[in-house]
Amino acid sequence: MTVPPIRPPALAAPLPTSHDEVVSAVLVIEDDDRIRLSLVLALEDEGYAVSGVPTAEEGLELQRRSPADTVLVDLMLPGIDGFECIRQMRRTDDVPIVVISARDDTHDIVAALEAGADDYLVKPVAVKELTARLRALRRRARAVTPEAVPVLRFGELEILPEAGEVRRRGEPVAVTRTEFQLLCELADHPGRVLSRQQLLQRVWEYDGGDERLVDVHVGRLRQKIEDDSAAPQHLVTVRGLGYKLQR
Amino acid sequence: MIRAGLRARVIAGFAAGALALSATMAFASYEIVRHSLLGERESTAIRAAYYDAAVIRAGIVATADPDLVALLRALDTGENRRALLHRDGEWFARSADLGTTSAVPAALQEQARSGRASVQRVRADGAPTLVVAVPIATDTVFYEVDSLAELDHTLRVLTIVLTAVAIATALAGAGLGLYASRYVMRPLVRVAQAAQDIATGASDARLDPAQEPDLGRLTSSFNAMVDELSARLERDRRFAADVSHELRSPLQTLSAAASVLTRRRAHLDERTATAAGLVADEIARFQQLVNDLITLARSDRAAQRAPVDVAGLARSACRERGLPESIVHAEGEPSWTVDRRRIGQVLGNLLDNATAYGGGAVAIRLTLDDGLGRIEVDDEGPGVSPEDKAEIFDRFVRGRAAGTRGGTDGTGLGLAIVAQHALAHGGTATVLDRPGGGARFRVDLPGSTA
Repeated sequence: MTVPPIRPPALAAPLPTSHDEVVSAVLVIEDDDRIRLSLVLALEDEGYAVSGVPTAEEGLELQRRSPADTVLVDLMLPGIDGFECIRQMRRTDDVPIVVISARDDTHDIVAALEAGADDYLVKPVAVKELTARLRALRRRARAVTPEAVPVLRFGELEILPEAGEVRRRGEPVAVTRTEFQLLCELADHPGRVLSRQQLLQRVWEYDGGDERLVDVHVGRLRQKIEDDSAAPQHLVTVRGLGYKLQR
Repeated sequence: MIRAGLRARVIAGFAAGALALSATMAFASYEIVRHSLLGERESTAIRAAYYDAAVIRAGIVATADPDLVALLRALDTGENRRALLHRDGEWFARSADLGTTSAVPAALQEQARSGRASVQRVRADGAPTLVVAVPIATDTVFYEVDSLAELDHTLRVLTIVLTAVAIATALAGAGLGLYASRYVMRPLVRVAQAAQDIATGASDARLDPAQEPDLGRLTSSFNAMVDELSARLERDRRFAADVSHELRSPLQTLSAAASVLTRRRAHLDERTATAAGLVADEIARFQQLVNDLITLARSDRAAQRAPVDVAGLARSACRERGLPESIVHAEGEPSWTVDRRRIGQVLGNLLDNATAYGGGAVAIRLTLDDGLGRIEVDDEGPGVSPEDKAEIFDRFVRGRAAGTRGGTDGTGLGLAIVAQHALAHGGTATVLDRPGGGARFRVDLPGSTA
């Protein structure tokens, strides 16, 4: 299949955006030229500053040089695949990463989330839905101060909502923004059970979303904050109900 | 006609065989024993009778007018034998009681009178008796009546023993049949178990050919069938995944490009704007169609049951569609053990169906009673005609009968998906007439209590 050469920004002058927001930068890593171009065009129309690259290598390099606010990544990429791309990016970066894939097997979804993705969207994603997701992620990235509580303590765990920090026995723990938001929601209600749907609503702003998002994020958090993630002391599962954070 | 099971037939066959064999053996041995005992007894009786007759004859010959009764009394006959003498038409016995004479049959007397010694078995006073007639002289016959009661008792005991043995053998045969049927059935049970495992999704279940060498053909053809089946399933699965991937990727481009067009509609001339609108609408519909087809292709998988707040699910489905949440009426336990994703689609599709064909849903009723979860969605539309009711849950059936229902919205797969999801829960989807007009779609989900 021959794909016609693409000359991006020249032919697409984005519409002036009606939002008063600061222009948000989005990095699109997608090997299919047509999909990449159409996403770039559509997101630019929605007021985002978008850069699109066809490979994970270029994406990782670009993100190092000029970090975007959000990264959209396909899973099937030539060279480094999407899973590995997410893993590598996560080593140094807590930027929200959204997977956009045509694959919707549980296996792929869970693997991508475990690699460190914040959300998983199955193609085709309507632009309206995509921008709603991006806005939710941006709000999350910004609004990490639920209350003016200086520090929340759960045993050896310290959560500093204002500083956006988590410490374990005094040592800082590297968590992504989504993980931090999830932890704060649970910490806001110590000892109380929050259902997966409640957490999806509060952290991801999903009304009836995929509960695997919560489960995988809880799993990731446990590996960072628990001594034994298989026998959690603080972030515990309440069978049939949801999760709670306890001292 | 109900045919007895293989196992029952094997057991019955073994039991009948054992019974026939043991009955034949018992009968034969009874006959042999009886024959030899009787023969022995008879020859003993005859020998004794001849001996006694010789004694009597000697007595008769010795004197001119012998005292026959005294002669008879002198015989040593023991308890069982009774001696009689018939001389010149008169009966003589050891005691005055001559009742025993009635035991001597007339035919025997006739034979004896003609000078032939003979033996006959008769029944006297209900007991088997042996009568031996020995002619001593003209008009003089010596009879000995020998009771066979003892022998009869022996034979009766033998009969009981042999019958008991026959019954025990038949039972043992049945037991052997039970064991044999189990033994024979075991590989079949294994095949059945493996088939069941495969039916419930364990595609790696195979039979061990080494375990049943006699069933080698069955084992190998079963395994070949399962291999072929799982290969085909795997092909289908991969094909569905490929198709969905290949359809979804271009749709992503179309969807994003259409959104650019839609956003710039105001800048387009009217004809172009209309065309752009058509393209965008059809892309949206095509997208829905692809999603529905993928959903249907996968809906034969088992439902992933977990506790779900179905009322909350229904309310959020209403919210998404701009319907008032107040139409949701929930009764009973709020948490159902169902597949959240599937039930979300069931609710959404029923609401969309009501909007497209029934003038909008007016009520969603959710009841959980004794494990049976029931979802009912009512609308106030024209209802569903009886001929449509039968096929409304089939694929690509879209208000065929009534022109009023023939919209171009929807994919024609929504209700088929509802039916498939109900089936995945072991339940049913039906359409009824709503009292007061309109249609009532009902989905029953058994096993909705954990």
